[in-house]
Amino acid sequence: MRISSPPTLTRRIATLAVVSALLFSGSALAGSRILGTGGVSAIEGAAGGGLSPWAVLTSTASEQEVGATASLSRAWLDDYRLTVKAASANLYDRVEMSVARQTLDLDTLGGELAQTIVGGKVRLFGDVLYHPWGIWSVGVQHKSVADDTIPKALGAKDGQGNDVYLSASKLWFGAVAGRNLLLNATLRNTDANQGGLLGFGGDNGGRQWVAEGSLGVFLTPQWVVGMEYRQKPDLLGAAEEDDWQSLYSAYFFNKHVSLTAAWLSLGDIAGLASQKGAYASLQVAF
Amino acid sequence: MRFRRYAIPLLALWLTGCAAQETTQPSLYTRLGGMPTLENVVENMLYRVADDPEVVVFFANTNIDHFAEAFATQLCDISDGPCQYDGPPMDRAHQHMGINDAHFNRVVEYLADALEDEGVPLAEQNELLGRLAPLHADIMRRQ
Repeated sequence: MRISSPPTLTRRIATLAVVSALLFSGSALAGSRILGTGGVSAIEGAAGGGLSPWAVLTSTASEQEVGATASLSRAWLDDYRLTVKAASANLYDRVEMSVARQTLDLDTLGGELAQTIVGGKVRLFGDVLYHPWGIWSVGVQHKSVADDTIPKALGAKDGQGNDVYLSASKLWFGAVAGRNLLLNATLRNTDANQGGLLGFGGDNGGRQWVAEGSLGVFLTPQWVVGMEYRQKPDLLGAAEEDDWQSLYSAYFFNKHVSLTAAWLSLGDIAGLASQKGAYASLQVAF
Repeated sequence: MRFRRYAIPLLALWLTGCAAQETTQPSLYTRLGGMPTLENVVENMLYRVADDPEVVVFFANTNIDHFAEAFATQLCDISDGPCQYDGPPMDRAHQHMGINDAHFNRVVEYLADALEDEGVPLAEQNELLGRLAPLHADIMRRQ
């Protein structure tokens, strides 16, 4: 029932991609935006932190460039293991498109839950570094679960749904002990249960607006540490859910490779209390 | 939708920490190392520009010595040093050059690398870049 490790070939290709990215760092392939301004891959595929999308667009492509990223992320929680494979593209620093496949292994309950998320994000205006109001973007995420049996058994109305969000990000130069401070705020309209893995809607209501926020301090131009908070709906009477939060550290080796580590506190998930654990994510960008 | 207790207080604590740090300290110009450092930074940056064929074309009709002096004066002025930049405003100085964000970002990277290379501490690098960032709008206005 469980599909654990990716096939050897996939792993070999991924290794090759990372190695070549490390070797060719600084080549003309990279986008020209400043290191770190594309964030990392959030668990839903969009450029952001770990848990929440940011307004910045993926990779470091500028207005006359295109960029692409691929990422592999995993979270080890008390009773679950989440794996996310994601890819995204940036067209002229105006449009971001992303796709993510999430698999949640139910280590304690048995079985797995999976969903596919196709996302789009459009930069409305601004720039995270140079514009006095920062950068503002709107995004949409279409999510569909692979098998809606468990979600519907828990009371979810639907096996697929759409999130829409408005996001703003801005860097404040030298704001914390001379280090740059990145602030992000996202307002999301959603009826997703546990981000969609437990379906959409439920006996406790439907779509609602939720707030997400994060901050990060660039200890060096390559290394950002911070925290995230993501408010969530709580629509399933049979499986109460909590807001998500994380403490994270992301290191940008260069414009092609970043490694993110985090500590997650995701609250109750599908009847199992207080899920906490570690998170790691590797992104390659071109 | 149960709110966790500690996220908001922690955020507040973090932000007040920044505010409490404001004390009287020497000007940014002094902390950067004054005119000798700024002149070295400009020269270092211009060597990097000279090695980049896509950026150096914008300096084809520029007297480099004159530019270096004017840019050092501008950095001195913007960091509260004893200088008065009296060159052309940024929008006029860059008008119709065809500069895009990619070119702009490249020069920002060369300046940041030059600051690092000349031993300017990260806090002062960030503060100087923060004061220069608003110039983006003027420089890109008439492209």
